[in-house]
Order: sequence, then C-alpha cells, then structure tokens
Amino acid sequence: MIQRLWATLVKECQLLWRDRKGLVVLFVLPILLVFIMTLIQHEAYRSLNETGVPVLLINDDNGVLGQTIQRAFEDFELCSVTVYNDEQSSVKSSYVDLVASGEYVVAVHVPENATSVLRQDVKLIMDAITEDEKLDSTLLKQVEIEIVADPIARKSFIMAIGSGLREFIASVKTRILFEMMSTELNEISGNQNKLTFPAQDFFIFNEYYAVSGEDDVFAPNAVQHNIPAWAIFSIFFIIIPLGASIIKERENGLITRLRTLPGNYFSILSGKLLLFTIIGCIQMAIIVCIGLYILPQLGLPRLQLGSNLGAFTLLTIIVAISAVAYGLFLGTFFNSAPQASIFGGISVLIFSALGGIWVPLNIMPDIMQSISIVSPLNWSLKGFYALMIQNAGLSDILYCILMMLLFTAVMVCTSWFINVNRCLRA
Amino acid sequence: MSSPIAINISNLTKHYLKEQNVALNNLNLEIVRGEVFGLLGPNGAGKTTLFSILCGLVKMNSGKVEIEGNDIITQMERIKKIIGIVPQDIALYPTLSAVENLQYFCRMHGIRKSEITSLIKWNLSLFGLLGVGKKPIEKYSGGMKRSINLIAGLLHDPGILLLDEPTVGLDVQNKRKIMSHLKDLNKKKQTTILYTSHDLEQAEIFCDRVGILNEGQLLIVGRPAELRNHFQAGSLEEVFVKVTQDQCR
Repeated sequence: MIQRLWATLVKECQLLWRDRKGLVVLFVLPILLVFIMTLIQHEAYRSLNETGVPVLLINDDNGVLGQTIQRAFEDFELCSVTVYNDEQSSVKSSYVDLVASGEYVVAVHVPENATSVLRQDVKLIMDAITEDEKLDSTLLKQVEIEIVADPIARKSFIMAIGSGLREFIASVKTRILFEMMSTELNEISGNQNKLTFPAQDFFIFNEYYAVSGEDDVFAPNAVQHNIPAWAIFSIFFIIIPLGASIIKERENGLITRLRTLPGNYFSILSGKLLLFTIIGCIQMAIIVCIGLYILPQLGLPRLQLGSNLGAFTLLTIIVAISAVAYGLFLGTFFNSAPQASIFGGISVLIFSALGGIWVPLNIMPDIMQSISIVSPLNWSLKGFYALMIQNAGLSDILYCILMMLLFTAVMVCTSWFINVNRCLRA
Repeated sequence: MSSPIAINISNLTKHYLKEQNVALNNLNLEIVRGEVFGLLGPNGAGKTTLFSILCGLVKMNSGKVEIEGNDIITQMERIKKIIGIVPQDIALYPTLSAVENLQYFCRMHGIRKSEITSLIKWNLSLFGLLGVGKKPIEKYSGGMKRSINLIAGLLHDPGILLLDEPTVGLDVQNKRKIMSHLKDLNKKKQTTILYTSHDLEQAEIFCDRVGILNEGQLLIVGRPAELRNHFQAGSLEEVFVKVTQDQCR
C-alpha cells in the first residue's frame, strides 16, 4: 500500500512538473494576487483601522491650550502627528493644500492667543460668579479651531478628532477654572497654600476585546486579511487541475489500466489526493512567508500568525483536504475537463465572494452575511481570522473545522456514490 | 492436475440501465491455457463489454466468469495479478516519457526496484525503442505509442493477456511488429491471449480460434480454417459477413 502510494505520489509530481502552466496557476498567480490585493487594500485598511493616520497640527498658540492639544495628539495612537508652529508661515498658508494633496488626512489649526482668549472667557465667568452678577455672554470670545479633512477620510475618524479636541479643550478649561477659583478662594480666605489640580483622571475606562485569550489581539489590516484569504482561495483553486487530472485519466482510457492494477483503486487515487493536499499546504506556507518576510519590506505590516501554530497547521491541512474533496467531486461528477474547470472556477469565485475573501464579511450587507455561511471558504477564513486576529485556540475554531470536515465527507460520499452508480450503469 | 481452462465464461448476461437491448446474452465460452482467441464482431456487438467484465471494470447481471479458476466477483485481486490489459486507447500519461510511464506501472505491480530498469530496457529494446525511451509519449508516433501501450500490459509477465484492438490505426509494418511479438510471447511463454479486433485478416493469421459475437450473442466459435470450410468461404471475412447477415435476417 505504502509503495503504491509513494509510486503514485512520484508519478503525480512528475506530471505536475511537466505541466508548467498548471504550476503557474498553482503557485505564481496566488503570489501575484496576494501582492496586488494587499497593496491595493492597504490604504483602505489603514483608514478602517485608523492607526497612524497622518495628521498635521499647526499650533500658533503659545499657551497651555496649544501645548495640551499638541501633547494629546502625540499620545493619540490613532494619529501620526506632524507639528508646525507659527514660525513656519509657509506651512500655515498651505495646510489646506497639503490635505488636498493627500499628504495629511486631517489638519488642525490652533489659532494665536487661543489660551489667552480662553483665560479671558473663564475670568469673565469667575467674575460673574464671585461678584454675583449676571454673565454678559456677548463679552465671551470664541476660539476658532479649524479642522481640515481629506474628503476621503472616514467620518468616524473626523468625529474622533473633533471629540478629542473638545475633550482636551474642556480639560484645559476646567484646569484654568480650577486655578482661578483656587486663587480667588485663597484671596478671600487669606490661605497661602496653592491648590493644584489633581493629575489623575476622575474616571478610568477599561477597554478590552471580547476574546477568550489573555494575549495580544492583532489589529485586522490588509496583510492579516489578504494572506489567509488568498491562501484559502489558491488552495481551493487546486480543484481545477485536480478535477481535470481525474477526468483526463477517465477520458484517455488510463482508468482501465489503473483499475486493473493490483490493489484498491482508492490507493491509487489517494496518492493523487495526497499530493494536492501537500500542494495546498505548500501554497499556504509560501503565502505566509510572503506575509512574514516580503510584505514588511514593502512598508506593509508584518503578518501576525497568533500563538497557536499547531491549530494554524491543522486548519491549513483541513482546508487543503476540503479543497481536494471538492476537486474529487468535480472530477467524478463532470464528464469533460472544460466543464469541470468552468464550473469549478466560477463556483470558487462565488464561494470566495460569499466567504469574505474579496470583501471582508463585516462590511457586507446583513443578507449577504447570512448567505455566507454556505461557503466553505467562509468557514476557513473565519477559522484563520480567529487564530490570527483574536489569537484564539483550537477549541475556538472547532466549529469551522467540523463544518469543513462535514463538507469533505459530503463531497467524498457523493463522489463515491457517483462512481458506484457509473460502474453499475456501465 | 489443474484444469486446462484459462478463461471460463458461463451464462454471462449483461444489460445496461436505460437500454432495452442486452449487451451480452447468456454467453458461454471456454478459452484454453496457451491459446490465442480472437473475439470478432461488428461495432456494438458486446466485445468491449466482455473485455470490461473480464477486467473487473463492469459488473455482470448474471452468470459466472472464472479466470484460472478464480471467480471474477470474489477473487478479482488474484485475477489482477494474472492478467495483463492492453486497452484500445493509449492508456499512458502523455507528458511522461516511456521510461517514466513504465516505471510507474512496474512499481504498481510490485516489481522489485532492482529489476525495474533492466526489465524496461529489455522490453524497449524488443520494440526498438531503447534510444527514445526518455521522450514524452505525446511526441511518439502512433506505432511507438501502441508498442509502449502493449509493453505496459506485459511488465508483470501475465499468464493471460487481454488485448482490445491493440493495432487499431497502425500501418502494416507496425501491425506486423506488434503481432509478431505477441505470437512469440504466446509460443515461448504459453501466454493465453484474448484478442478483440475488426481486422479479420490479421485475426485469421494470428488466432488459434475465433468467436464471432453479434448483438450480445456468440454466434460461432472455431478454428479459422474450420470455419472457412464449414461456410465454404474463401476468407474469415466472408464467414463473418455470412454469419452476421444471417442473424440480421
């Protein structure tokens, strides 16, 4: 059995090696797809993830407000801030153009004497309180902070910048109000001790992701999506050479010779299926290596595999087995290689579109998200997402694995049934 | 003493689903060990169906078939080791070379690694193909392909050879080369040969006995000379025409 399996494996390798066009389809095209799709989607994902978005801050205020906003932007993980001050007048006049050209997604202009205006406003309020007078709101001056945004920037990001600014200004306003009140009270009470505003916040926000593990959660980005997505797509595309290979053996009469060789025909077929399963795993390994070592050289984020490499390997093998089972079904069901190739190719395209390979599932309409559960590529991608983004373990992807095993079983049983039926009809 | 019967077919019936006519109707035939038997018949007579049943590719509806005393339903694995198949199609991988194709079939027959190279060389040299053994099959001429197709069925030294139109589409020289080799094989090793063909002239020269099959029924069986005498015909072709026309009437 092992000798026959090995002989078939060697023969299939020789056949594959002679089929240079097939090799291009199996290995070169998926690599090109990964590069092209990842580079195309990189900017879109950057905007989706809102990390390191280029922001220009023109800080013409020399006071505490300008400093606070600047410090806050520098600590704000969504942004990668570039600060200009009032000495760089050329930038001041062209910051709208800089955003329009796409160099910055957002530009924020803090005007000159913003802190002074704020202090004056707070003082007016304080005077009204201490002197028990009605506040004349017409005396209050407004600080005009400009936010210039690229039209393609996501609304949510602009809103986040706006709310962040309001938050910084409110905290500065509170601080100034506190300092003034403290000074006033000291004057009334004669107390010399200057009260300082507490450094710590009054509220603590605990933010965490809804995942089972305690380890890091990796941000979804173009690399984290495209590497598993196109690897799965490529693995499923092996159905075309596999289906064609099974049909050709039947068409050119080789099946007669193969079926009359000693041993079960399944042992001959399993050599072929084993090779294509190995090819699927090699495709995944190559594409993962691209994500780990080559894409970072192009300025893209490095692929994060998660910490469960065992589960990752198991899932890859199961995806390859599912694809091979589907190829076996096509090769058994169809009578000609062109029929199988056309049906197989289009069905993988449909499965991939439904499965979230082209467009991530979370931005699909609800109805499409419901339909997507019929796609084996969806189960595969969900599994890899769980491992690579949520850092999940084997138990978390059991559902995906079981669905794919069920799909495999259905494909193999249907192929077996068709084969037996064909033998009886023949 | 073991039975001299290599292939024993009794009351064999096969009908295909969705088809009204029976492909093989209560067929009985005995082929003696060491005999060259020609199975002749027009298109659709049931030759390929019988060939496929003997190879275990198609299941019969009723009857019994034994090859060297082994039942075709229950002992097919033993039969596979005894029979050599040469299908009508060129059942070879076109992109692989002759040597690679033959190496694969040797391995699948469980032939020892140390013997494979010499066995392939010997067989290729018999057909004058030693110098081109490394060329892909798709680059071969029709005659060369047929020769390799035949060699692939002989590698494990089978006692019974089932040939389905092994020389179809070949020129006279190549036909003679292949048939002469088969005749040598039959003489030297006493290989039993069941041969189907439309080439009646060749069958007359090559076969010890022939059987004419039409519409699933074996109409006559006998030595070519006996049949010619019986039907007072000048050739086997005349016998064939008379027998099949009689049935049509």
